[in-house]
Formats: sequence, C-alpha cells, structure tokens
Amino acid sequence: MNPIATTAEEPNADIEVTTSDVERVERALIDASTRLPVLFFYSSAIVWLLISTFFGIFGSIQMYAPGFFAGLAPLTWGRVHPIHFDTLIYGWGCMVGMGTATWLMARLCRTTLRHPLILITGAVFWNVGVLMGVVGIMIGDNTGYHWLEFPGYSAITLFVSYLLIMTWALIMFRYRRRGHIYITQWYLLGAFLWFPWMYAAAQIMLFVFPVQGVMQGVVNWWFANNLLFLWFGSIALGVAYYMIPKVIGRPVHSYYLATIGFWTFALFSSWTGMMRLIDGPFPAWLITASIAAMILTIIPVATVGINHHLTTRDHFPLMRYSPTLRFTVFGAITYTAFSIVGVIISLRSMARYVHFSEASTGWTYMGLYGFFTMVLFGSMYYIVPRLVGREWRYATLIKLHFWGAAYGIGLLVLLLLVGGFVQGLYFDDPTLPFEETVQTILPYLRGATLAWILLTVAHLIFAFHFGLMILGFGRTASVPTFLNPVQNEKREPAI
Amino acid sequence: MKSLQPLFFGIFGVFAFSWLGMTVVPNLQIGSLNPQSDEEGTDIYPQPPAGMVTRGAQVYAANGCFYCHSQQVRPEYGGADIERKWGDRRSAPRDYIFEPVVFLGKMRNGPDLANAGHRPAMQESGAAAPTGGAAASPAPVGSASPAAQSSPAASGSPAASASPVAVTEPTTGESPGAASSPAAATGPTASPSPAAGASPIASASPGATGAASPAASPSGPSASPTTGATSAPVLVENVAALTSGGEPVPYSAAWHHRHLYDPRSVVIDSNMPSYRYLYKKQRLGGGVSPDAINFAGANASDSEAGWEIVPSYDAKCLVAYLMSRNQSHPLKEAKSPVTAPPAVAAASPSPAKEAQK
Repeated sequence: MNPIATTAEEPNADIEVTTSDVERVERALIDASTRLPVLFFYSSAIVWLLISTFFGIFGSIQMYAPGFFAGLAPLTWGRVHPIHFDTLIYGWGCMVGMGTATWLMARLCRTTLRHPLILITGAVFWNVGVLMGVVGIMIGDNTGYHWLEFPGYSAITLFVSYLLIMTWALIMFRYRRRGHIYITQWYLLGAFLWFPWMYAAAQIMLFVFPVQGVMQGVVNWWFANNLLFLWFGSIALGVAYYMIPKVIGRPVHSYYLATIGFWTFALFSSWTGMMRLIDGPFPAWLITASIAAMILTIIPVATVGINHHLTTRDHFPLMRYSPTLRFTVFGAITYTAFSIVGVIISLRSMARYVHFSEASTGWTYMGLYGFFTMVLFGSMYYIVPRLVGREWRYATLIKLHFWGAAYGIGLLVLLLLVGGFVQGLYFDDPTLPFEETVQTILPYLRGATLAWILLTVAHLIFAFHFGLMILGFGRTASVPTFLNPVQNEKREPAI
Repeated sequence: MKSLQPLFFGIFGVFAFSWLGMTVVPNLQIGSLNPQSDEEGTDIYPQPPAGMVTRGAQVYAANGCFYCHSQQVRPEYGGADIERKWGDRRSAPRDYIFEPVVFLGKMRNGPDLANAGHRPAMQESGAAAPTGGAAASPAPVGSASPAAQSSPAASGSPAASASPVAVTEPTTGESPGAASSPAAATGPTASPSPAAGASPIASASPGATGAASPAASPSGPSASPTTGATSAPVLVENVAALTSGGEPVPYSAAWHHRHLYDPRSVVIDSNMPSYRYLYKKQRLGGGVSPDAINFAGANASDSEAGWEIVPSYDAKCLVAYLMSRNQSHPLKEAKSPVTAPPAVAAASPSPAKEAQK
C-alpha cells in the first residue's frame, strides 16, 4: 500500500466532512441502528464487571485470611478466583469488546446494522452462557484449565452465541461502503476471526479429543495468551487507533508503521503462549520459541507506541478535557509497559524467580485491565452519549472513575509484580522453609485488597453514571462533557 | 489496505502458523508417548490411574487446588525445585501421559505437588532403614515441609515423631518467639539444606548422621515426649493410622485428611483454606469410625466430645489423588542430578545448622 496516498483520507475523512449535513444524518442513522444491541452489550458488561469486582475483592481477602468463608463450598477461594477471572474475561471483557466492536464496525463500514434483534439474541445467550459457567464453577464443575474453567454446557452456549454475534459483525463488512479499510477494521476483523478459532481449537483439543499429557498445558496457555493478545489486545488496539485520531482531530501519523505494527503483532504475539511454562516438561525449542516471540513483540509495541505518540504530539493537553482520550492514552501507555514487563518476566534468568509467583498474575491484570479495560472505558465515554443522545451528567464522576481505576490498577499491578519478585527470590533460596516464602507475599496481598477497594469504588461510580445515561438523566447539551472547564483554548476540542 | 482478500488471508495464515507451530507440531512430537519399560517389559512407568484417583483429579479441579499448587519440577538449572526436595529429578512429558487432566499450575502459593505421594514413601524407607537407627533418616521429609521436626529420640521410628503437630504446641520455652515468628518456629529444625537431599547417603555414613542429628533435635524431646513406645509407622491407607504419639504420620492419608480439614492444626503457617465441606460431622455411634479424622495433639475446638469428623467419598478420592502424585520413577530422558559425595553432603549442612541455632 502506498502510505502517502492513503494518509490523507483517513479516518478523519469523517471529521473533515462533518460540515456535510448528509454525512451527519447518515452517521446518526448508523448510530441509531446500533443503539439497542450496543447498549445491551454495555449494560450486561457492566453488571458482569460489578460481579467480577465483588468476587475479586472477596478472593483478595481470602488470599491472606484463609478462614474467610472457607467452610462454604461455593465460596472457597478455589472457586471464587476462577469466577472472578472468568467473569472479568467472558462477562465484562468479551461483552464490552463486542459492543464497542459492533459500533465501530457499523461506523467504519458506513452501513446500518441490519436486524439488531438477532444481535441482541446472541448477547442474551452469551449472558446465559457466562451465568451457567459461574454456577457451574460454584457447584464444582470447574474443568481444571486456566481461563477455560467454564464447563462444557456453558462453553457450547458461549460458542454458538458468539457465532451469531460474529456473523452479524461480518455481515456489515459484506455491506460496507466500498473503499478503504481502516486500521481499526484490520484489528477488529482479526479479533473476530481469531477468537472462534482459538476457542474452538482449545475446546476440541482439551475436551472433545483430549491431547495427551503435557500437551494439554501447551494448548491451554496457547489459548490463554492468544485470548489476551489477539482477542483483547486486538480489540483494544483497534479502538485506540480509532479514538485517538478521532478525538484529536488529525489523521494517524503513519499508515506504513501501522501496517508493520499489525502484522508483526499478529505474527509474534500468537507464539507467546509458552512463556507461561518456562522450564516446564516440554521440548526446549517450544519454550525458546515463545520467549523469542515475546521479545519480538517489542517491534509491534514500538511501532504502535511511536505511531500513537506522533499522532498525539502537541495535543497532549487535550487529555485535560477529554475523558475518552485520557482513558485511551492511559491504556495505550500501559500496553507498552505491559509488553516490556512481559519480555522481562519471560527471560529465563528472570523466570527462574518470578515464574511461579504472583508476578504473572500482576502481568495478566496489566494487560487485561490496565490496557484493555481502560481503553474500552474510554470508548464507552465516547460512544454512549452518541447512542442515548445525552451527554455525561457529571464531570466529577468521570474524574473519580478515572483516578480510582488508574490508582487501583496501578497499585494492584505494582504490588503483585514487586511482591511476586520478592516471593520468587525467597523461592530460589532452598534454605528458607516454603511456608516462609508464602509469608513474604502476604503483606503485598493485603495491599492488593486496598487496590481492589479503589477499583470497586471506581466501578460503582461508573455503573451509577452509566445508569443515569441509560435512564435518560444525561445532560441535554450541544457540547460534550469536559473533565475540566475549557480555558484559554483557541479552539474547542473535538471530543 | 484497499481490498479484503489479502487482509483476510493474512489473518488466516498468521494464525494457522501459530496454531500449527504451537499445538499441532508439538503434538506430533510429544503427543503420543508410550510408557517406559525395561528390557523384560516388566517395570512399566507410568501406569494408568485408578478410578478413585481419576475422580480425585476432578475434586482437585473443582476446588481450584491447581491455582496455588503446581505439579511440575523444574530442572536444576531452572530453579530450586530439586533442592527443595520437590522431586528427585525434573518432570518430563512422559510423567503425565495417563493424567486425565494435567495440572501443571502456574502459581506456588502452596508447595509443588508433583511428588506429593512420594514423600511418605521416602519417610517409610527412612524408618525402615536399619542402619539409620537413631540417625537423622527422616531427613528427606524435612526438606521443605513442616514435618521437619525430626527427632532422634524416636529411635524405632523417626517418622513417628516427625509429626508437624509438634509445631502447634511449640517449644516456646526453648526458643523465645517461636510461637509468634514463623521463621523461628520452623527455622532451627527445618533447615531444608542440602543435607536433607543427601539423606540416603547420610544415613549410610555415620559421620554424616552424627553431624545432622544433634542439630535436628532441639524440639524433639519436648515436642513429642511420648514417642518412646512406637509401633512401626508405615505408609498406611487407613485414615486412622496413628503413631503412638497419636498424631498422624506426615503425608499419610490420615495427615492429608487432617490437613485438608484444618490446615493450621498440622502446618502452623499454612495459608491454605480449610476444605471442611468435604467432611461430615457425625455423632459418635458405637465407637470411633475407622476413618474418622485423628485430631490428637490439635486444639480441643476441632474435636468435640461425642462427635467425629469423617471424610466424604470425594475427600477420600482427593487424598487418593494426592498420594498418587509420584514422579520418582527414573526416566531415561530426565536424568537425576548427580548426587553429591557423602563427605560434601555431611560437611555442607553443618555450618548452616550451626548458624541457625
């Protein structure tokens, strides 16, 4: 592709023509067609986020107070933890991701969403699938594979409803306005096609025709890291590629960099799964390949990071006003940090210490929350007003949400990474009794509860604010809600 | 990108590459291994699990044990797993070929369990070793476990006095702060130093045992004063198996049940939740059930008069599963690390133990 030829027409093609009434009406029609399904996705996602947060703080207390509700089978830590994580992944992450992706698809394909009720049906069954999975774990049907804990009856429900949702997203591609395919669409198309493959492959290779022995571990982590990178990561990167230029009002700096970034991202991050099993009972080449792939993910990270930075250059002050930009930039920066930490903890010399410690959990939160969730929060601040036709009610609540989430996830990740490293140092000293190595992590886990309290507050505030919007209590104003009063601005930010 | 086709095929191709390279090719390499046997075809390892073990694996998954316990021993260059006596050798793919679900794990907020079922065997052999006598033969158990209260006083069966319960009634008189400080409670005696690793050799060598046992003794006499008349403790499947001191032999089925029911009654610093919902509390009938949990030495709160705690079938399966965790059988592809010569084994631990006193 010719970068020079294409730079000019992107995505701000949208922005440049906002003066055109035709375009504006057309976009309003597109937004209207996605209103019901996307809001349904968002509402479900927020309910699951609250459930996940509840189980998160509950399990976080149990980590250092093993007597906390220990006598109740459904609330033992070994069940609370997978419920927390799976509702975060399948309840919150997948639903909010699919909601935003649907809206972006319609916008970027410039086509209205046809038969939105079928999409809603898919979302309803997805909710049912997650609910069945949660109940399944509670009654003891955990399958025993990380991130695939949902029992078969839940997994098949999820898969079928996913196919329904995916088909609808792809149908929009079929009806798209001819012309350019924007970067965001590459990522979304990739995510929509990769997810069913990884999910079906993992289900078939683990449950239908189970592979032998340690191959189960290989398939398990191949799936888990692909879910983290190629599903959540793709969606979040796609959203960031849309929101940052959109809010700032200038095109992506370099299409050429974006192309390199996309293909290297897909190529390298899909090979990283075995960095979770360093020095395990596997052929050495497999683990080494994953470590090498993890190191190589620096290439897409660098290209994406540079591209976003150069796009945002000179416009960072806009983060003072735009909630969307603030959340999105936070997420995009975390993406860089996430990958660098990922490289560090997968180096063999480092994995010796941190491999079996809390550090890997911290790293997962970094990707799933610090990167993905924050970017998606940003997208919701952009999209929801366009769907309900009102602006966010209180700038203060947005600020509280942002700082609660940012400090919460920052503290959580920091404690788990540092605590995990200390724990790992103790592991490696065989003269220390094992119980002592566990004792070292407990202060950090107590701190993690504080982080969870911050996150809980942030999520409750956001849910309340979102509820106001849904119920029509948003502001009726012609300008978006700014985080801070606009002062000394030559021009109004295009939020 | 102007057209959909190259994008579509690129997305497809990249992921096919990952799927083939990361799952299909390794599956061709290690996905259909056979058990190993010697020339006569007799010494076959591994062997398919029993029914209770398979069900135990489900209980293990249902209660999320695998989030805190890994089941893989890294090679000596990859970590301190072997030094911690979590295994004699690294784990190999062949160890897992009959596992219904492989719980490799990714977290160690609890110890590795790849050889959980091997530990009592190590202990039994230590107790049975005639040359061991009063020496520190239970040292292998002492490695990374609370069972390290090995006492030379337990002449006939060192394992008997090795009950971790001793820790719950600490020798506070001897070591100030033992009750409050976890390090102090387990420190002096546990010291999972290389000596523990070399124990088979140590028991064969008088010099080595002599060096090790005094260091291990401080808590012994006070911790289990009644160990004098001991019936030989062996690896018993019966939950009620007791030592003469009344406490379950570490890593025996009785110990596992009590540990699952009330972790901190056997391992004072344990961070494991109780799994008491896998147990039934029932009124004492004509007598104590043969499989009732043995609470000897524990707090009175656990054992009310007139009541007993018996394991459910799931709990028995879980313990059967735990006791089936054993990767001690030699494998051609996973060599045990070279054992240090006895002299080195005897010399190296002593300073460490001295220092900790």
